[in-house]
Amino acid sequence: MLRRLFRSRVVLLSAIFLLALILVALFGSLFYAVDPSALDVNNLRAFPTPAHPMGTDDLGRDTLARLMMGLRVSLLVGVAVEAFNVIVGAGLGILAGYFGGWIDILVSRTADMLFAFPGLLLAILISAIFGSSVGGFAGGAGRLLLVSLSLAVVGWPLMARYTRGQTLALRERQFIESTRALGASDRHILWRHILPNLAGLIIVSATLDVAGVIVSEATLGLLGLSAQPPQTSLGKMIVEAFSYISLNWTQVLFPGLVLALLVLALSFVGDGLQEYVERG
Amino acid sequence: MPQFLLRRLLQLVFVLFCISFITFMVGHLAPGDPIQAMMGNRRDPRLYEQLRRQYGLDRPWYEQYAGYVTGVLQGDLGKSYRYAGRPVWDLVKQGVPVSASLGLAALALSVLVGVPLGVLASVRANGIFDRASMTLMLTLFAVPSFVIAGLLQSLQVILFQNDLPNLPTSGWGKPENWVMPVLALAAATMGYLARLTRASMIGVLRQDYIRTAWAKGAGARRVYMHHALRNALIPIVTVLGPSVAFVVVGSFVVENVFRVPGIGFVAVQAINTRDYPVIQSVALLLALVVAVMSLITDVLYGILDPRIRTQS
Repeated sequence: MLRRLFRSRVVLLSAIFLLALILVALFGSLFYAVDPSALDVNNLRAFPTPAHPMGTDDLGRDTLARLMMGLRVSLLVGVAVEAFNVIVGAGLGILAGYFGGWIDILVSRTADMLFAFPGLLLAILISAIFGSSVGGFAGGAGRLLLVSLSLAVVGWPLMARYTRGQTLALRERQFIESTRALGASDRHILWRHILPNLAGLIIVSATLDVAGVIVSEATLGLLGLSAQPPQTSLGKMIVEAFSYISLNWTQVLFPGLVLALLVLALSFVGDGLQEYVERG
Repeated sequence: MPQFLLRRLLQLVFVLFCISFITFMVGHLAPGDPIQAMMGNRRDPRLYEQLRRQYGLDRPWYEQYAGYVTGVLQGDLGKSYRYAGRPVWDLVKQGVPVSASLGLAALALSVLVGVPLGVLASVRANGIFDRASMTLMLTLFAVPSFVIAGLLQSLQVILFQNDLPNLPTSGWGKPENWVMPVLALAAATMGYLARLTRASMIGVLRQDYIRTAWAKGAGARRVYMHHALRNALIPIVTVLGPSVAFVVVGSFVVENVFRVPGIGFVAVQAINTRDYPVIQSVALLLALVVAVMSLITDVLYGILDPRIRTQS
């Protein structure tokens, strides 16, 4: 199974890289125990040195340590948003596709309403307006929760629309009808037949989507709408480093490179998964 | 055609209703009391009531919404919270031409580079030029605009430090200020359009009528430009609507990174000062632009491909 999934070398390399990034984000601070908030006033905006392998920012904070913190935020928000999309978006999509009727109307029209907003605009609006009031909640966690929620509000309609269409097609298949003829309940059909058949497709579209979510989080961070100090996010690191780019360009480069590679790796793994699921 | 147009216009009305309603509701549900925030530490019940009435906050929400929509239809976007009593339009209006010209320039660049590149790549599919240019285009599409902006800026700084010709990394007004923001904003759309054009061209080039054209002795130029491209362009027109959305949201980022005083820049300043009516208005304006552009592309699509008009 794994051999077929990693048929392409790019997919294999991307998966290894991704795993390495996740491990660094989770456990990196155990091996690189530098405080990401500590100010090294003698080394402001430093280029990479042995003491600071990726240099420091304009307050003398260690960039490698902050990068690990930002990566954690990116991955956390990505996972949270996709969890919401899968549970709420795919859940509603399946119910709408299977039962039709008023559930379908309710879900589809709500999705249509949210689709009226182009791209991130609604997420920007929500996190801008509610941001200041959740800032203090649970030491920064409130802010990340709001960012995740605002991205989920933008993201779930797509997932719902996709799973609804897939469910509609599946519902008419013969094995479902036979099961129903044998007297199976809706609940049984949904859990035992519809969901297992769609699980692969849902996982693939969530994987393909998560790269976009991570870019969106970075975009919100760049606009000052994501993690607040002492937390940071990749987007925030990039925009902060822009202000002293003429003195040290490496500080824009490192977070930018990490973000770009993370997104590319996720896309390749998503494509690989898609091929694997579709071709079987 | 009239029926198609009517249906599409009704859809636009629905979209406009959704945009205005959601934008209004987000602002309405915003926590905190904007009037008290505006007055700071002053306690003056009479002034408080007067301001509340002036901003219409003493009325029930559906009346406020009706007032909001009537205002917007008459070109009144409401009043700023930060600069008491000042119309939002006053704060936003200088940004509109800046954002519009930046966005149009980026869109034009992405079409003018992306489409020809896609055509060239399709001529020798899987050749060296095809692979090299399409890998570059995939990277441009996948890498977020602000990372591209960062790389472009790093490059300028290195050029500057080595006394080589370089471009300014921020500001607006001079022609050389345009280069970097337009490039950063155009990159993703350009990559997308190039790849789409290539795929669309390759699909069309396989069709029988193209073989007929070759057999009749038509020159390469005529086959590619006259026969193939005309049909290959149809799917490209359809993505112009979503491309506008992409450029519009991208301008938020690019304007702030390169300090271009457009409406995205104004909006982020409003975010920092919690001036909700300004944020709402910018969101509303941008969503309107995208909705109207997607109507235009749909109508264009209907004109180019008669099948669209008659079905569904």
